[in-house]
Amino acid sequence: MSINLTGITKTFGSYQALRGVSLQIEKGQFLALLGPSGSGKTTLLRILAGLDFPDSGHLIFDGADVQHISARDRRVGFVFQHYALFRHMTVAENIAFGLKVRPRGERPNKSVIADRVNELLRLVQLEQFGGRYPTQLSGGQRQRIALARALAIEPKVLLLDEPFGALDAKVRKDLRRWLRQLHDEMGLTSIFVTHDQEEALELADHIAVMSEGRIEQIGTPDQVYHNPATPFVFEFLGHANRLTCRIVNGKAAIGDVEMAAQLPGDSKPGDGVAFVRPHDIALQPPGTSQALPSRIRYMFTAGPGVRVELERLDNGEILIADLAHEQVQKGGFEIGQPVAAQLTQITVFPAR
Amino acid sequence: MIRRISPATLNVRSEPAWLRILLIAVSVSFIVVMLVLPLISVFTEALAKGFAPYLATIADSDALAAIRLTLLVAVIAVPLNLVFGLCAAWAVAKFDFRGKSLLITLIDLPFSVSPVISGLIYVLLFGARGWLGPVLDEYGIKIIFTVTGLVLATIFVTFPFIARELIPLMLEQGSEEEEAAISLGAGGLQTFLRVTLPNVAWGLLYGVLLCNARAMGEFGAVSVVSGHIRGKTNTVPLHVEILYNEYDFVGAFAVASLLALLALVTLVCKSLLEWKFGDRLAGGAKH
Repeated sequence: MSINLTGITKTFGSYQALRGVSLQIEKGQFLALLGPSGSGKTTLLRILAGLDFPDSGHLIFDGADVQHISARDRRVGFVFQHYALFRHMTVAENIAFGLKVRPRGERPNKSVIADRVNELLRLVQLEQFGGRYPTQLSGGQRQRIALARALAIEPKVLLLDEPFGALDAKVRKDLRRWLRQLHDEMGLTSIFVTHDQEEALELADHIAVMSEGRIEQIGTPDQVYHNPATPFVFEFLGHANRLTCRIVNGKAAIGDVEMAAQLPGDSKPGDGVAFVRPHDIALQPPGTSQALPSRIRYMFTAGPGVRVELERLDNGEILIADLAHEQVQKGGFEIGQPVAAQLTQITVFPAR
Repeated sequence: MIRRISPATLNVRSEPAWLRILLIAVSVSFIVVMLVLPLISVFTEALAKGFAPYLATIADSDALAAIRLTLLVAVIAVPLNLVFGLCAAWAVAKFDFRGKSLLITLIDLPFSVSPVISGLIYVLLFGARGWLGPVLDEYGIKIIFTVTGLVLATIFVTFPFIARELIPLMLEQGSEEEEAAISLGAGGLQTFLRVTLPNVAWGLLYGVLLCNARAMGEFGAVSVVSGHIRGKTNTVPLHVEILYNEYDFVGAFAVASLLALLALVTLVCKSLLEWKFGDRLAGGAKH
């Protein structure tokens, strides 16, 4: 199903949760609404589901205005962060719920419902669990049942609110892969909310980065990661070193060094903010031109690489660099040693 | 000083044996002295002269009238409070509105007001010299010294029981399950009957049992509005008092034993239901 949102605003009391959100989602997309808490992402999801109503704006599903259609009739599968399974019903009864509550004329008969429940239990790989109660399941199992329950009504769109938020790291990784596969196999249109950039990058084919009730950028994971449209997006997606700079001669002047950089469209001379990812910093011998004179303040093994804290000699600011183990060994770097930090990829935004 | 933990109780929370025994002894003896002994004495006094006088007192026409009246009052008051309690708890737990905390405070009012005052309020309102008394009198409506008055006073005194039981339960459960039900296509009534109600069934049942026990046992408020007309406006607790004041101890305790029995039956019912449906409701809150 394609979804079209224009100018959605929503206020809770004096708090403005959404300040004019417009968004287009094509059929078959797997979209992540990514942002920190309070950015309005969950509110937007609930508006799509019909659990909240916007103050203004338009909400169109497949060309039809659904603004005044209740959640009940939207055929939207909603998966809650804390699962919201019916605690007094068995797993099978939970999954069957959406079919059992249909009006008499549309309700499938008992054996059809039972077959459908079994089919969904197989799909979420919990065939033997139909007779259990939700409290007798682990978090990951509950999440899969919540998903099966939502899929039972053959939703036109699947909405997931922080679907992996309450799970531990290992289960989360497995479920992510499984959900991605399910989305592709079933040809779903899915939207999920997350504050975890890694999750968004891994799972979604499109990411809408949200901040303070607005969408900062929409694009493929590649676009938002490599071509962030705003400083917020740059900082939110992965670690970032933030340096003040001046835009001069189509270059970025950081300290007294002028360096090639990706500049904003107009690249007018003036103050700017430069962002550098930790893996875009290389260490060179002291005195190297086009690099920032620094000192290694601290370094430690961080997973597959080495994280190095550099202190700039000119103004004492700290830069974080991620290096490979071999680079550190080859360079013979040690704590306290003076080096030159070469910034291989710099993105500059005009200072606000 | 180095504190040693005895190896038998390798647990930081374990208290010394004497303290444990003392705490258990204090609570057990308190319950025995304050609860069990009086309860036993009710039955021994009631049966002091054997079974025949016991049954005779209960079968007395005034006693039977009192029992019938008590049942009638409970049958009217409990369902009304059930409906009210559900409405209030639902409103408080699932919606936000102005004056919500005031409503919660007001629900507690009958708990903090002496039952005698609750009765007096009705006399002042509906009595012959009360605010509304003369107006009602013109239309031939009598409330004080009638069954209507007894029912009103009982409702007043017992209405917090069900609401108080449900509000914390529903607040804790939030409204996510209802939202899930609606997004799955359920209507308002379906959601209420299939999700909300089963989720609070336990608390509701417990509240009804408590409300019923109190409705049948209420003395103070009922005493004020009743007028103690034998065979007409005398409930079981009032009848007990009359018999007692007439030095008919066997009679008083025999009728009182009915109320005590009611309390025991209530307790047994609750335990049985918990035992029977405990698994099914393991997910819900238990008492």
